[in-house]
Amino acid sequence: MSHASLTGRERVSRMFARQDHDRVPRHDTFWSDTILRWQIEGLSGGQEAALELLDSDFRPLCWSLPVPFPGMNDILSEDESSQTVRDAFGNISRKWKNKETEPELLRFGCVDRDDWDQTYKPLMVTAGLHVDVKGARNAFAEAHRRGQWSFFSASETFEMTRQMLGEETTLVAMASEPDFIRDVSNIYTDLILRDFEALYEDGIRPDGIWLFGDMAYNYGPMCSPAMYRDLIWPDHVRMAHWAHARNLPVIYHSDGNVSAYLDLYIEAGFDCIHPLENCASLHLQDIGPRYGKSLCLFGNIDVSILGSNDPVRIEQEISSKLAAGKRTRAYAYHSDHSVPASVSWETYKLVIKLLDHYGYYD
Amino acid sequence: MSDLSILTEAIKNGNRADAVRLTSEALSGGDDLHAILAALVDGMDDVGRRFKSNEIFVPEVLIAARAMKESMAQLEPKLLAAGIRPEFTAVIGTVQGDLHDIGKNLVGMMWKGANFNVVDLGTNVSPERIIDAVREHKANLVGLSALLTTTMPAMKGAVQAIRASGVNVKVLVGGAPITGDFAREIGADGFAPDAASAVEVARQLVAA
Repeated sequence: MSHASLTGRERVSRMFARQDHDRVPRHDTFWSDTILRWQIEGLSGGQEAALELLDSDFRPLCWSLPVPFPGMNDILSEDESSQTVRDAFGNISRKWKNKETEPELLRFGCVDRDDWDQTYKPLMVTAGLHVDVKGARNAFAEAHRRGQWSFFSASETFEMTRQMLGEETTLVAMASEPDFIRDVSNIYTDLILRDFEALYEDGIRPDGIWLFGDMAYNYGPMCSPAMYRDLIWPDHVRMAHWAHARNLPVIYHSDGNVSAYLDLYIEAGFDCIHPLENCASLHLQDIGPRYGKSLCLFGNIDVSILGSNDPVRIEQEISSKLAAGKRTRAYAYHSDHSVPASVSWETYKLVIKLLDHYGYYD
Repeated sequence: MSDLSILTEAIKNGNRADAVRLTSEALSGGDDLHAILAALVDGMDDVGRRFKSNEIFVPEVLIAARAMKESMAQLEPKLLAAGIRPEFTAVIGTVQGDLHDIGKNLVGMMWKGANFNVVDLGTNVSPERIIDAVREHKANLVGLSALLTTTMPAMKGAVQAIRASGVNVKVLVGGAPITGDFAREIGADGFAPDAASAVEVARQLVAA
């Protein structure tokens, strides 16, 4: 049963403004294997079709991805089972031909500050835009046609630094070469904001921005809140400031247990936190009363429960989480990571039905 | 004779240059090799304790482990020449199909810091390679890591293969999606939620 009276754009905007809205906004992310499974089990179409059946309220317009070697995918060697390639980050990895698995990273291209200063930084700052303007125009038109809440997105500076230097080098440098990390963070932020500004000047006016950065693991943050505040946070503030100057709210995504960072996220100007992983001990019932007035809460539907395909457990999960989320009046549905292939199409149709049943405000 | 507490402090603070210099000075000054090793291990024990209590975080652990590693590079040849070897050997790797290594690396570094001989098999490791390495190095302990939910079955397969092979070794598992319940389900001997706990659990397992 559906009795929606608002467009997705109106609904999400009202959620951010803490104004009454008809139902909990919705969005989700699916593994490619999940879509393949669902197609066998009856889904007609791909990810877009699944989001349409969900009645997703959100639409991405772009992904800003500053890289030193735009478009690079050089094959360095090849055999029957694999290709060794150098990618747009200058990283060398082995891609398997007959296996659905992520590439095996063999070597990072940027391994220290000298590489950054002498090669990577000059290349990145002199390259053009790192975003698909034409694609953003088309997506903006589509969002407008569908009445969806549209957003610019990017991996933020911590995530980009990690992708370029690798996790270990990044974390070691945070402790031993803080100026290096500050510089990388500062440059990445400049480039992302340059991309966003170019789209905005082109007349593509999103409703918000959505930044992705995994700053925590299941049991806690990657670095101390003090180190985050010193090295990365000033650039998060800059991004939030850019958005707020255009009346755009900011959604921030981080996997893991980000509890230790939440106050700093609020202080930085982030308006919403996503995806609130249960396996990282984040639960709407706890976070809602503490942070629901300062942050919109987005996600927290436990994928391990969805993956059980047990209708009773799933109904309990969705009804209880939506009740807790609705109490904040600033909650949007999303799985607490992305929907894995263990979730059947039948189960996901049940999820949509339960969202229709429990997701409306009185 | 050196004041080895300064070396311990250098490890605790992740001060690589000081740690290497002090290790070198202690060696050339004729300090007891066991005492130098103990000073290094004490430093890493303190790092593990503070990591577990959220006084320090992964970056500080990594620079301490790096200082430890470089100090050990100086000390190890002398220990070997004197016939002093770590009491326990651990084989560690990320399970087949999984290419993530930071958690595994962190545990490996902490185990080395706790004076385990660590044989790091890398990522995407087949059960056969693990079993071969256990036999070759006469390992007391296997550490298996998985970051992806999709590779959790591979972890189960590895534990089953180790058991079926008949090698007498304790198996400790960890990684983002791994829980204590899952570890018990698949027949692992132990589970550690983080690198500091992995040292404690490893010590308990090999002592049992």
